[in-house]
Amino acid sequence: MFGYVTADIANMSKEEKACYKAHYCGLCHVLKERYGTAGTSLLSYDMTFLEMLLSDLNDAEEHRGTERCATSPIKEHLYITTSCTGYAADMQMLLAYFSAIDDEADEGKGKAVLRKAEPYIGRLRDEYPRQASAAERGLKLLMEDEKAGTHDAELLSRHSGTIIGEIFVMDDSSFFRDDMRALGYGLGRFIYLMDAWCDRKKDARKGLFNPLGPDACWDDAKEMLLSAAADASAAFERLPLDEHISILRNVLYSGIWLHGEHRKGKGK
Amino acid sequence: MTDPWSVLGLQPGASADEVKKAYKTLAKKYHPDVAGNSPEAARRMQEINAAYDQIINHRESSSYGGYSSSSSYGYGGDSGEPIELGAAISYINARRYREALNALSAIPAEKRTARWYYLSSYAKYFLGDTQGAISDIDEAIRRDPNSMQYMAFRNRITGQRQQYTAYTGTYGRPAGSMGGFCLNLCMMMAFFRFCFCWI
Repeated sequence: MFGYVTADIANMSKEEKACYKAHYCGLCHVLKERYGTAGTSLLSYDMTFLEMLLSDLNDAEEHRGTERCATSPIKEHLYITTSCTGYAADMQMLLAYFSAIDDEADEGKGKAVLRKAEPYIGRLRDEYPRQASAAERGLKLLMEDEKAGTHDAELLSRHSGTIIGEIFVMDDSSFFRDDMRALGYGLGRFIYLMDAWCDRKKDARKGLFNPLGPDACWDDAKEMLLSAAADASAAFERLPLDEHISILRNVLYSGIWLHGEHRKGKGK
Repeated sequence: MTDPWSVLGLQPGASADEVKKAYKTLAKKYHPDVAGNSPEAARRMQEINAAYDQIINHRESSSYGGYSSSSSYGYGGDSGEPIELGAAISYINARRYREALNALSAIPAEKRTARWYYLSSYAKYFLGDTQGAISDIDEAIRRDPNSMQYMAFRNRITGQRQQYTAYTGTYGRPAGSMGGFCLNLCMMMAFFRFCFCWI
């Protein structure tokens, strides 16, 4: 994912900030365990959101530890992992791999990530065939539609939605699988649209495809973004969450807008 | 027929967050890791899931028996409606929405009634396809303009947006401003919801 699913820190209590940070560090810890520095370089708040969501939904037991790390080499800090952290780490790697393929096709970038991810992709495909094939198929359809010159951003965003929807379903036999899928579907659409909005000027300069185009206006983009966010939140509110519900709501109702709000002015 | 509120040990009308908390506590108690694989625990878990589903998800649909009729979905010998419609309802009650859409798609276009469009809208809504859900519920309403149930469901789908923007406002960063029109709509929705909870 692209770093849009983040918290609105200014609207968090001290305890919430500490908890959010500890889960972020927990995800980093597991990424390092499984993938070394290739993994930690992929660390994102988006996957921290998924990790906290899954941990809450499954009432997963927390394991706490302290450690020093490269970004905080002197002071020891708390990290929290659960039985869902490994899944979030694996999905981070899986998504990084497939979006690197996409990037390479788009702008010839992404080779470094591909090299990092390649040793693991075989295992990930075996372990998560449903998620891997959804990502592969979704990106293929997206590339086809983009090549065909489709500028229907809403339509294009659905491919991204389908991918993230499948990633959000850790257990396809869960009573709440379709709510998780619907939540991921909304967020995936949101991410695609927000990415298109934030990159529209840069893409125009570089001659890259952008579904919104350089002259898109915020009000139009906002309409589509609001639909996607409202769909995601409606599904979110159907889930039996309690422990992290306040942090997760902060992300869904406020945090995800921070990027767009920042860049709103630049577009005019 | 068991009252979903009492299954969760709550007073009727408890807030959604209270329902979630109660569900979590009970789900933990009857989880196979804690309760073992006893049939009794599995039965309780099913009951808890159904009660949660009824309260959180099927507010408008009590008349076709989301929670109350686990033995019969009320569609045995009903007015010559295709059997697939009954299957779709069973799937919806089991929260298997994709299977519900498959069952519905097996019914040929000329046999699709207002009810068919309502059920299709319902399944699409819970799969996150809001646009599809709106277009189907509009068709259901076109065919049966007097159904309060369809109207209430349409309000629920479209009300999502207002609820979202209203809640976003509590963070002091309005993603969309709420005018008088929106507020009216919200109140109308609240009214409809109230009605259908208790009828």
